[in-house]
Formats: sequence, C-alpha cells, structure tokens
Amino acid sequence: MGGSHTKTWPSPADLTLPDSSGWNKVPLIGALIGVACIGAAAAMGWTSGRFAFAYLTAYMYWLSIALGGLFFVIIQFAARAGWSVLVRRVAENIAATMPLFAVLFIPILLNMDHLYHHWLHPDANDAVLAHKAGYLNKTFFLVRAALYFITWTGLALFFHRQSTRQDVDGDIRHTSKMQAMSYPAIALFGLSITFAAIDWVKSIDPHWFSTMWGVYYFAGAILGFFALFGLLTVMMTREGSDLFHGTVTTEHRHDIGKFTFGFVVFWTYIAFSQYFLIWYASLPEETVWFKHHLAGNWEAVGYVLIGGHFILPFLFLMSRHMKRNRTTYAMGAVWLLFMHWVDLYWNIMPMYVPHGAPADYHSHFALSPEDILTFVGVGGLFFATFAFLLRRQAIVPIRDPRLGESLRFENF
Amino acid sequence: MASPTELLSGIAKPMPGYDPIGGRDQLVTDRADFASITSDVAGVIERKTTIGWWVTFMVSLGLLGILGLSVAYLVYNGTGVWGINSPIGWGWAIVNFVFWVGIGHAGTLISAVLFLFRQKWRTGINRFAEAMTIFAVMCALLFPTIHVGRIWLLHWVFPIPNQMSAWPNFRSPLLWDVFAVSIYGTTSILFWYVGLIPDLATMRDRAKTKIARMAYGIFALGWRGSNRHWQHYEVAYLLLAGLATPLVLSVHSIVSFDFAVSQLPGWHTTIFPPYFVAGAIFSGFAMVMNLVIIARWAFKLEHIFTMKHLDNMARVITLTGSMVGYAYAMEFFIAYYSGNPYESFAFVNRAFGPYAWAYWIMVSCNVISPQLFWFKKLRNNIAVLFIVSIFVNIGMWFERFVITVTSLHRDFLPASWDYYSPTIWDIGAFVGSFGLFGTMMCLFVRFLPLIAIAELKTVIPAADPHGAHGHGSDHAHSDHPHSDHPHSDHPHSDHAAVDQGHGGQGHSAPAIALQKATHEH
Repeated sequence: MGGSHTKTWPSPADLTLPDSSGWNKVPLIGALIGVACIGAAAAMGWTSGRFAFAYLTAYMYWLSIALGGLFFVIIQFAARAGWSVLVRRVAENIAATMPLFAVLFIPILLNMDHLYHHWLHPDANDAVLAHKAGYLNKTFFLVRAALYFITWTGLALFFHRQSTRQDVDGDIRHTSKMQAMSYPAIALFGLSITFAAIDWVKSIDPHWFSTMWGVYYFAGAILGFFALFGLLTVMMTREGSDLFHGTVTTEHRHDIGKFTFGFVVFWTYIAFSQYFLIWYASLPEETVWFKHHLAGNWEAVGYVLIGGHFILPFLFLMSRHMKRNRTTYAMGAVWLLFMHWVDLYWNIMPMYVPHGAPADYHSHFALSPEDILTFVGVGGLFFATFAFLLRRQAIVPIRDPRLGESLRFENF
Repeated sequence: MASPTELLSGIAKPMPGYDPIGGRDQLVTDRADFASITSDVAGVIERKTTIGWWVTFMVSLGLLGILGLSVAYLVYNGTGVWGINSPIGWGWAIVNFVFWVGIGHAGTLISAVLFLFRQKWRTGINRFAEAMTIFAVMCALLFPTIHVGRIWLLHWVFPIPNQMSAWPNFRSPLLWDVFAVSIYGTTSILFWYVGLIPDLATMRDRAKTKIARMAYGIFALGWRGSNRHWQHYEVAYLLLAGLATPLVLSVHSIVSFDFAVSQLPGWHTTIFPPYFVAGAIFSGFAMVMNLVIIARWAFKLEHIFTMKHLDNMARVITLTGSMVGYAYAMEFFIAYYSGNPYESFAFVNRAFGPYAWAYWIMVSCNVISPQLFWFKKLRNNIAVLFIVSIFVNIGMWFERFVITVTSLHRDFLPASWDYYSPTIWDIGAFVGSFGLFGTMMCLFVRFLPLIAIAELKTVIPAADPHGAHGHGSDHAHSDHPHSDHPHSDHPHSDHAAVDQGHGGQGHSAPAIALQKATHEH
C-alpha cells in the first residue's frame, strides 16, 4: 500500500467555537444572570441566614461538578485512556472554572456566623466542641480553605495549560508530564475533597461525625459531573451545530452513559452504607443527624432520594438503548442533575435555623426563592466561565497523541 | 483548506498494543502467534511433571495434612482448644476468614470489572486469578464452618423449613455472609468454567490418551468453536461479568457489616464497606502477583505474564494500598473529631496499647511498603515486587487481626480485659489452609490451562482486523515489532507529518510509519 502522503495536522484555529455558535453569548448572559440572581437572593435572605444556606447548597453543587471534572481529567491520564480524548477538553474546561469558586467562596466567608456559629461561638459548657477546637477554629478553617483552592486551582490549570499548549506545539512531553502528575494528583484530590466536605458541610452540625462523609460528597460530585458532561456532549453534537463535526459519536456518549450508570450505583452504595450502619448500630450521637434530616416533611425528601436518585435512574439507564439514544440519555442526565441538587439540599438545608428563630424551631422543607436564585446564579457564573474557556482554544485536544484512538473508538 | 472533519480523519488509529507515549505496550511479547500461544500454554500440562511441581505439591499436601489434623482435633474437642476467650470470642478463625475472602476478590475484579473497563491486560492473568479466587473462597468458607463448633449442625445456617419453626436470624450480617459468600463462590466457579470451555475443547483435541480426551471432552460440552458457539459464549461472558461486578463490592461490604453494625469502637464506623473492598482488592492483587511471579518463572511464561502485567498490578496495589491508608487515617481523624472518648481510646490503644506491634506491622506493610511502587525501577524489579506483595498479605492479615482483636480485648467492662494469644491449633488451622490452597493451585496448573488460550489470542496484534495492512497476520511474523516502539524516554515531538495509510487506517506516529515502511510493497 504505497502512496502514503503527508498531511498537516489541524491547527487550533480549525476546531474552535464557530462564531455562529450560541455558546458565544453564554459568558455575558451567564454573568449577568449570575450576578443578578445572587444579588437578589442576598438582598432577600441575608439577615435571616437563608441566603447563606441556600448559597452554600448552590456553591457545593456547582463546585462538586467542577471537582468531578478535575477528577475525570486526572483519571484519564492515570489510566492512559484513549477513548475520551475527543471529549476531554470539555472536562478540562469544567475543571478550569476552579478559580471562579475561589472567588465565590467570599460570600461563604462573609456568612460564617450564620453557617458555622455552632463551633465559631460554642457553648462554654460544650466539652465535645472544646475538644475539637484544635481543628474547628476560624484560623485553621481559613488556612485549610486556602490550601484546597491552591490544590484544585493548581491542578486544574496545570492540566488545562499542558493540554492546550499541546494543541500548538504537538509535543508529546505534555502528555508524559500530565501522566506523571496524575498519580500524586489523585492523592491530593482525595484528601482535599474529603476535608473540604467535612469543613464546609459536616461542620455545620459539628457534633455529628461519619468516616464515610468525604466519600459521600465525592460520589455525588462524580455523578453530577458525568450527568452534566453527558448532557453537554449531547448538546454540543446536535445535528446542524455539531461542534465536533461528527467525530464524537454514540460510542463516546455510550461510555459516558455507562459511567453515569455506574456512579448512580456507587452513590447509592455509599449513601446506603452510611445510613444503614448508623441505623443498625443506633447510637444516639450518630442517629441524631438523620433524626434532624428526616424530621417533618424532610422525610418525604428522603424518600424522593431513594426513588429518584437510585431506583428510577438505575432502571432507566440500565439498558444500552437508553444510554445510546440522545433524547433518553439527556432526560436521564437532567433528572440526575436535579437529583444531585436534591441530595445536597437535603444534606444542608435541614440544618438551617432562621436568625432569631424561637428555641423550639423545627426545620421543615419549604422551597424559598433564595434556593432557586442561588442555584441559577452560581450556575450562571459557572456556565459563563465554562463558555469563556470554551472560546479560547480548540474544542478538542487536537494534537493529543491518543486522538487517533478516540476518533475510531467503538464499544464492543 | 480542508474541513475539520477531513483534517481529523487524517489522524490515524495507532496499531493495537502500541501506545505513542509508551506504557501501553503489547500484551504478549516475543513474537507470539496463534499456534505458539496454544503450544506454550498447553505445554505446561502436556510436558512431563517436573520435580519442582512434585516438591510443591508434596509440601502442600503435608500442610493439608496439618489442616486435617487441626480440624479433626478441633471438632473432637470443641472450640475451647483455640485461644479464644471472653470477650475475645472472635480470634484467628474470623481473621483467617476475612483474610481469605479478601484474597478471593482479585479474581472477580480482574475477570469482571477489568473486562467491563476494557483493560485488555487482564487477559493474560484472568484465568489464573479466577482459579485463585475459587480456592481462596474455599479456604475462607472453612473457617466459619469449623468456628460453629458443632459442625454437624452447620445446615442450620440455611433457612431450611423445619418442624420447630427455628430460623436463622435474618437480621444478622453473619447470615448475609452465608448467602453473599456462597453466591460469590458459585458465580466465580461459573465464570471460571464458562471461560474454560473453549480451552477445554483445545485440550480435548490435543489429548494423547483416551482418558484425557474423555475427561476434557465431557467438560468441554461439545464445543466445536463454531460461530454460533462463540456468539453464545461472548453473550454469556458479558452477562456474567455484569452480574459479577456488583459482587466484588457486595461480598466484602457484607463481611465488613459483620463488624460495622455493632456498637463496638473500632468496629462501628461508616467507611468500613468501601474500605474493606479496597483492602480485599489490595490483598488479592498481592496474592496474584506472588503466584504469577512463581508461575511465569516455573513454566517459562515470561512472554505471556509480562512485566507489563506485573507493572499494572503493582499500580493497582499502590492505589488500593493508599485507599486503605486513607481509611486508616480517616478512622483516626474521626476518632479525634467525634470527641467520643471510647472511639479515641480504641484507636490510641490500637496504636500504643498491648497490640501496638501488630498495628505497626499493619501500617508498615499496607501503607508504607506499597509506596515503593511509585518508582518505576522498583516496579520492574521482580524481587521487590515479590517481597512487597508478601508484605502486603502479611499486613492485610494483621489488619484483620488488629480490627478483630484490639477492639474486643478492651471491651466496656475493664474487669474482663485480657490478652489474646493463639494456641497451636489456631496456628495449625491457618498454616494448614495454605496447604489446601497450595494443593488446589498445584492440581489446577497441572490439569487445566492456566492462561485463557482463546482469549489471549484476541489481544495479540495478529488478531486485529485493522492491524497493519488490514490483514494483520503477517504482522505477527514481523521481526519483533516491540523493539521498534518508541518509549516515553525518547519523546518525538515531530508530529507535523501524518501518515495517512490507506483509508485512514494507517498509523500516525513516525515510528510506525517507519515500521510500516519495512513492509511496504
């Protein structure tokens, strides 16, 4: 088969976002919506503390997706994966929104008195909180937060930068560097996401403890990421405005679907194990957390999680057809993104006590405008940043040495 | 100016087994082809029995004798011959049970989970690991069986209708264990056997004696390798992989429930299920590593059990060892963070109490020793791989010992605090269980193909229909394609030129273009 002739590689400019794409408008629109919604929510619920809790829920939600993106990128290099190269830039961009979350942490800092007053201003007779003051104190909390953001931003920008530089120079050493970095990155990621989840969510109720907590947040984060990742892949490959020019196929979406399904089960496994072991041993210092989170109509939300976060998506996504069909997968992904929010909402909001509430105040589930506004607001800023990054370089890592494998990828 | 689609279509697929960055080397080295794989693997069985095999087999049989003696003495006298006491009612027997079940996890992980993840390197070692799993599960089941004391009433663990309406306690994780482990054992045997069928047919067709032909023939179930057979086979295999995957998680999760549903500090902690699963995979891979290193040396299978396999297993060991380390750290952190004095006591007592020696053996073997595998040099050193893997299994045995004994020996009633030591009968049963394991392994490698012959052929370059020239078979006869591959240590940034090959099926990297050039006609 002689006659091999050379051909130039595509340049980044060949595969960037076309001017006609709707994504070009997202940075501006997203930023406007984001600022407006967060501003409105803050104006409504700042003094009652509702804003603080609603904002934390929204923040942990979108942060989890960005962290999931970071984890996905790390794992692709650690496993030397080939199938995912075409869509990996999407995950790289999701992860690279991380600096935004460092900035968006400011409202949480401003609301620390609402969120973390149990350990910031502990009861003088509380021996347990006195015991853990060495960990739960403001200075150490801030130092740790800074460490998390340094870790995440550093890792996200490292992978993003190496990958986009490879677009230009095609140097294979970028891949080797990312591969070498991916192994310590797994360890750094695992520790930072665990302690961040403990600091920012678990410490709201500082008496409660569970060794599973870090894994629980991680499981939800990865599931949320895969749902959004798959949804974006469906959106970006729509006929007529396919940003990938037909290269991303059902095969790639099928694999993302398999991961989504897998993490539905993994989240359930973790959530069940945590709940079950606490239920079975029935130790009051542990069950009290579930007592609060299942009090009143919160119990109904708990049932929604069992049905909606596990049974329904488990049955829905089990079949090959549902994962490969664009519409059904997109439906499943949207549902799971909603359920991931319900999960975090159920984990955080029952701990909200309005400022100045009577001592016998009982938390109950009641959606407030702040909850929606913060969700949309942080989401708007997230998508604005994502779309901003999307415009700046090629849609796919065009010079990745394993691109060829991804282009011809088929499930068996 | 070409369209983006055209530009991308110029980027070719690398040939199978070839990784432009290095690291995903060919799975079978040394110019293996279809015929040589069959003869190499079948040769292990067909060759004359070696002295080495007889020595190993005799030693294993001797240990098996010790097991028989220990069990007979135990059954005759009752569990009082063991070192268990009150409050340490769970001694070595439970430790050994969890130890062996844990080891049994690697087989299903390799055969099912890695199959679903398209990790083709599993193909060389899956048969071996599955066999190991079955024998490990046999050893594991032995211990709860003899721990019941009155072994003749063992059928009471099953919910058998009876005139006294006496049922096992369905709320007890110990009963779930009965179901979980027996389902696991059954599925593992099925999976192993389904995979064996084509190879049994191969052995049948190669058999020189009538007895061998009949024996292999019966179990080959009339396999003729027709298209239809293969289609059924592949569907069955995929289904079994899908069904076995949740078992990898569920079995050791339920084993962890044995401890974690209690209220005992050091046992009751929510991270136990995934922590036990990670530990099980960790110890299972270490055992596979040890056995594979012995087998590849004894049967001269270095070109099939390659350094690539050992390297990948070392990576899994480091990953799962670090997960176990994460769980140890999280337990310790929460013991402090909970502010619960009993929790803190249990963990401080583990690390600095009477069993501190066991705790530090556990930490050094499980958390520290696998960190050596961060270095490529050590991952490629057989002696280091072998020794660290032994350390890992020592550490994992001690992990179960530490969990079981340290939490029990300091219960809530200080008057009953005691120090637990095993008796000779505890030791005899444990050492003897290696005899059972060894005997089964010896018989397995002697009579069954220890490598999945048919499956292995699918991962060699000759099997790829899109391989070099589109008919890759001549590629297999090329002179040592492996040596031509660039490795990560010589990066080639010269990607400017793309060899388009024919119809986009050629190979992108210049090195491949060069290699192809040797075949151009």
